[in-house]
Amino acid sequence: MTAVAYHRPACLDDALALLAADEDARPLAGGQTLVPMLNLDLLAPTAIVSLADLADLRGIAALADGSIRIGAMETHARIAASRIFAAGQALVPRAAGHIASPAIRNFGTIGGACAHGDPVSDWPVALVAADARIEIAGPAGRRGVAAADFFLGFLTTALEPGEIVTAIVVPPVPGRAIHLRYSRIDSDYATVIVAGAADIRDGICRSVRLAVGACGPVPVRLAAVEDLLTGRPLEPALVAAAGRMLAEAIDPLDDVRGSAAYRRRILPGLVARALAGVA
Amino acid sequence: MTARLTVNGRPCDLPEQGTATLLDLLRDQLMLTGAKRGCNYGVCGTCSVLIDGMLGRACLTLAADCAGRSVTTVEALDADGSPDPIQRCLVEAGAVQCGFCTPAMVLAARALLDANPRPSRAEIVAAISGNICRCSGYGAIVEAIAAAAHG
Repeated sequence: MTAVAYHRPACLDDALALLAADEDARPLAGGQTLVPMLNLDLLAPTAIVSLADLADLRGIAALADGSIRIGAMETHARIAASRIFAAGQALVPRAAGHIASPAIRNFGTIGGACAHGDPVSDWPVALVAADARIEIAGPAGRRGVAAADFFLGFLTTALEPGEIVTAIVVPPVPGRAIHLRYSRIDSDYATVIVAGAADIRDGICRSVRLAVGACGPVPVRLAAVEDLLTGRPLEPALVAAAGRMLAEAIDPLDDVRGSAAYRRRILPGLVARALAGVA
Repeated sequence: MTARLTVNGRPCDLPEQGTATLLDLLRDQLMLTGAKRGCNYGVCGTCSVLIDGMLGRACLTLAADCAGRSVTTVEALDADGSPDPIQRCLVEAGAVQCGFCTPAMVLAARALLDANPRPSRAEIVAAISGNICRCSGYGAIVEAIAAAAHG
């Protein structure tokens, strides 16, 4: 076996330099996906660049405008336990609290999960629903990408070679959080996820956002659905119409967690249940 | 100074291979075989240990990333010659069948009770949701953890 070097840089610039110098080096966040890929010989990096000591990638903090900045190395467990998220932003800790099982949540990170970009995982849909921004650093400097433009397909993101995720910024989200995760058992990937938030008063929907996850290569969020529901009484027929529009827009696969037809069949009911839960 | 980690209270050198997992170190170098190599990709839970007191997967953790951290395996729980109350309750409840999941189940329960000494049944079930018992003996396992907490 060829020796694989392990680097543990003390600052972001050093980490970026190590990654820029060797295109076959891999950044290591919480390891909950990278390490099994190593164990299964799906990856053969020349070096591991651990991000464990990068202080820039830590912390969950409120910004002046009410946004919450989550450092990329923050774990799902710490995000789930945080009380800093207000109103609809609470969909973020709720998503975190349902990822896999306690041991994975203790070490898996939001930045690592975003960089992996698995569409059946919990973060892409939650962050698209929250209008979050993904902060990125790389050899060409720093940039931010809207979550909807970051998750591009199966294990495909907007990250360029040598770039890493440094933080996720969640803007203020009005209303009450929606996070409905339908899975066969705890600790499994979801069959369908409905994430979002809605501000419903006296039966009238003042604002709403709904994204559907685990049902195709990217999370699905439709302006037409949110326009349809906004400003109107949430009558069952209207909610059913919104659910049908989403069911037609998703592009699910047949897999062990449910057939594509099954996912389309249950989605409208889940949308109705999600909205009823915040009415 | 060589980076080290602590396993069951003893300092330990890190392996040279950067991709060696904590599980490789525990089982193959230190001969601590309580942590099992079941699936080796994070699904079965039988390799679970405590890393700085938090339940974690030894197979999903690079040994090198544990520099400066403190790892506790099941072997430490009865180091004083008497079993942990969780171990005693598992035996009394008949919750050890083939036993392959048991060491990690003990540590999952230990992590739960350290953080939450009086868990509800739902909290116990959630705490072991990442630990698969192939004998499907969950009823007795949950009963045993409840007994350890409330007994």
